[in-house]
Amino acid sequence: MTLLRVQDLQIKFSTPEGEITAVDHVSFEVNPGEVLGLVGESGSGKSVTARALMQLNASNTTYGENSKLLLETPGESVDILALKSERQRRKVRGDLVSMIFQEPMASFAPALTIGSQMCEQLKLHRGLRRPEAKDLSIQLLSRVGISDAARRFDQYAFELSGGMRQRAMIAMALSTKPSLLIADEPTTALDVTIQAQVIDLMKEIARDFGMGIIFITHDLGVIAQTADRVAVMYLGKIVESGPVREVLHNPAHPYTRGLINALPKLEDLEAQLTPVPGDIPSPLERPAGCVFHTRCPQFSKGTCEHAIPPQHLVGNEHFSACHLHEEALASTLASAEHNQGVPA
Amino acid sequence: MASFLKFIAVRFAAAFATMLLVSFIVFTLMELVPGNCAERYIAYKTTQGQLITEADIRAEEVRMGLDRPYIERWVKWVSSAIFRFDLGESCLWRVDVTQLIGDKLGISLGLSFAALMLTYVIAIPVGILSASMRDGVLDSSLRVASYLGLALPNFLLALGIMLVSTVFFGDTLTGLFSDEYRDVPWSMAKLGDMLSHAWLPILILGWSATAIQLQTVRALMSDEQGKLYVTAAKARGITGMRLLMCYPARHALGPVINSIGFDLNRIFNDLPIVAAVLALTDAGALLLEALAKSNDQQLAGAIILAMTATIVALNFLTDILLAFIDPRVRKGFF
Repeated sequence: MTLLRVQDLQIKFSTPEGEITAVDHVSFEVNPGEVLGLVGESGSGKSVTARALMQLNASNTTYGENSKLLLETPGESVDILALKSERQRRKVRGDLVSMIFQEPMASFAPALTIGSQMCEQLKLHRGLRRPEAKDLSIQLLSRVGISDAARRFDQYAFELSGGMRQRAMIAMALSTKPSLLIADEPTTALDVTIQAQVIDLMKEIARDFGMGIIFITHDLGVIAQTADRVAVMYLGKIVESGPVREVLHNPAHPYTRGLINALPKLEDLEAQLTPVPGDIPSPLERPAGCVFHTRCPQFSKGTCEHAIPPQHLVGNEHFSACHLHEEALASTLASAEHNQGVPA
Repeated sequence: MASFLKFIAVRFAAAFATMLLVSFIVFTLMELVPGNCAERYIAYKTTQGQLITEADIRAEEVRMGLDRPYIERWVKWVSSAIFRFDLGESCLWRVDVTQLIGDKLGISLGLSFAALMLTYVIAIPVGILSASMRDGVLDSSLRVASYLGLALPNFLLALGIMLVSTVFFGDTLTGLFSDEYRDVPWSMAKLGDMLSHAWLPILILGWSATAIQLQTVRALMSDEQGKLYVTAAKARGITGMRLLMCYPARHALGPVINSIGFDLNRIFNDLPIVAAVLALTDAGALLLEALAKSNDQQLAGAIILAMTATIVALNFLTDILLAFIDPRVRKGFF
């Protein structure tokens, strides 16, 4: 059974400068117990997509007519975009869906204790009374590896270390046993050593709780560690998706290849870094055709700037949206590539 | 708890030190006024037809202790103010300054605090409301109104209201008491009469403070609303009033409380002008009289000291209040 089905998601913001398309015809699925990694640069639409799942985008947001966000749990199925009132939206805010944010310090209210914020959520969604909510919260804080949890319960976010704050955030997100957990760059603000601990914790918990996780990051290394499947986003589109090892070992889309080549390599410190050339275009000037054509090293004039590339199946459940995979073009480019010795 | 008590002790010491420094500055300022208290009194007597000699002045100076060194006189002034609540005698009237100021200071403080209350009772809820409906009709019209409040000086507003009232209602709205209550002792009737007159000075004193505070609250709220913890709270399902009050409003409160002291200061600054325009008989008017007309250093110094003490005391209280509502202040994180 599929837990989350995102179909043809299109998100637009109306701004004084004009209408901005932040997410364009995005579809993906998340299964229970599965970690889906969403990768992309800032501005790729990954956070906007995640926030749409909880209807957290600002009031100037419009969704495409055919966009569907369906959440199916054993108990109930929810059509997320059909939730109109704030009260209805509670279903996907902290109940069936929880979210962990990038900065654990900033996501706790500074003048409220960790405990009061945890209890508030439990009272709201589970109808627990304060003593029960407190017991459960302390239990969860211990579960995520916070020592002396009873004391931490009464402390404020500024009294905890960075790693501990993110653990507390995870405990809070898990307290209602959501079916889907969205983690928006949960490890970006942490030290590398702490990062690994938090990732391990999240994987362990996903297994224990059987929940689906959407893990958003710009860090391919983190994705390799955490995700079962990965979707690479660029300018509001998914350009490549598939099982994480398959995609990272055999990247099919020029953008994914660029991202992988841009990573520093520990085994060859002399190697030059090869950044993806150019800058991500302004969302007000979305390129026609393939959105990546302005930066693509394999840009093919006449095709890429006109036609939107469809998703091609390039391997086992591995999709890539690039004209490169259209046979005729692929063979010519492949020979050109061979001659230039560009690594595939 | 121990850290909270320590916090209070430290703030109290700081407030006390500030007061000592202020008293020194006020004392010095009063010293810098040409002539001293003895000369002033003797000069006053001359106008009554008495013949005064240089020796009389010297004798009066010795009697008043004006021949003692400057620092010694400051210490005496401050210590008797602290321990006996005695601020010396008026140079001119030869009565205790405390007695002279007495209920006039009470009236001034009453007006000022009422203006302060008015400011916050209006500015906090309206500012919050305005920020939560940003750029709506209410928000826009409130902003226009508060810019008007900022642009229009208090005394001009007072004159405007008096003009309208005089032309259309035949009442000048000046003074704090009706004629029949002016010189009678305090009674419930007199208090009621005062209250029926007090609304205008309170309104005028609170006018620009409200306008400024409204903008401040709105800006603080807008700031807080954009913060991640508000989105995070929303993502946990918190909605409506609870989301507004427990999150951005709760956290915008700190700087607002912090500014109470400034507002009292602003209101005190306006006090003499408003007193002059509205013909009030409060400490503001007395201060103006002491400074501008009779050059009564002792009296002016005492009024200024009393007002500053009020501001320092209020700041001390707001510091404690701030520590009470914000754990970061209380636990020494800031």
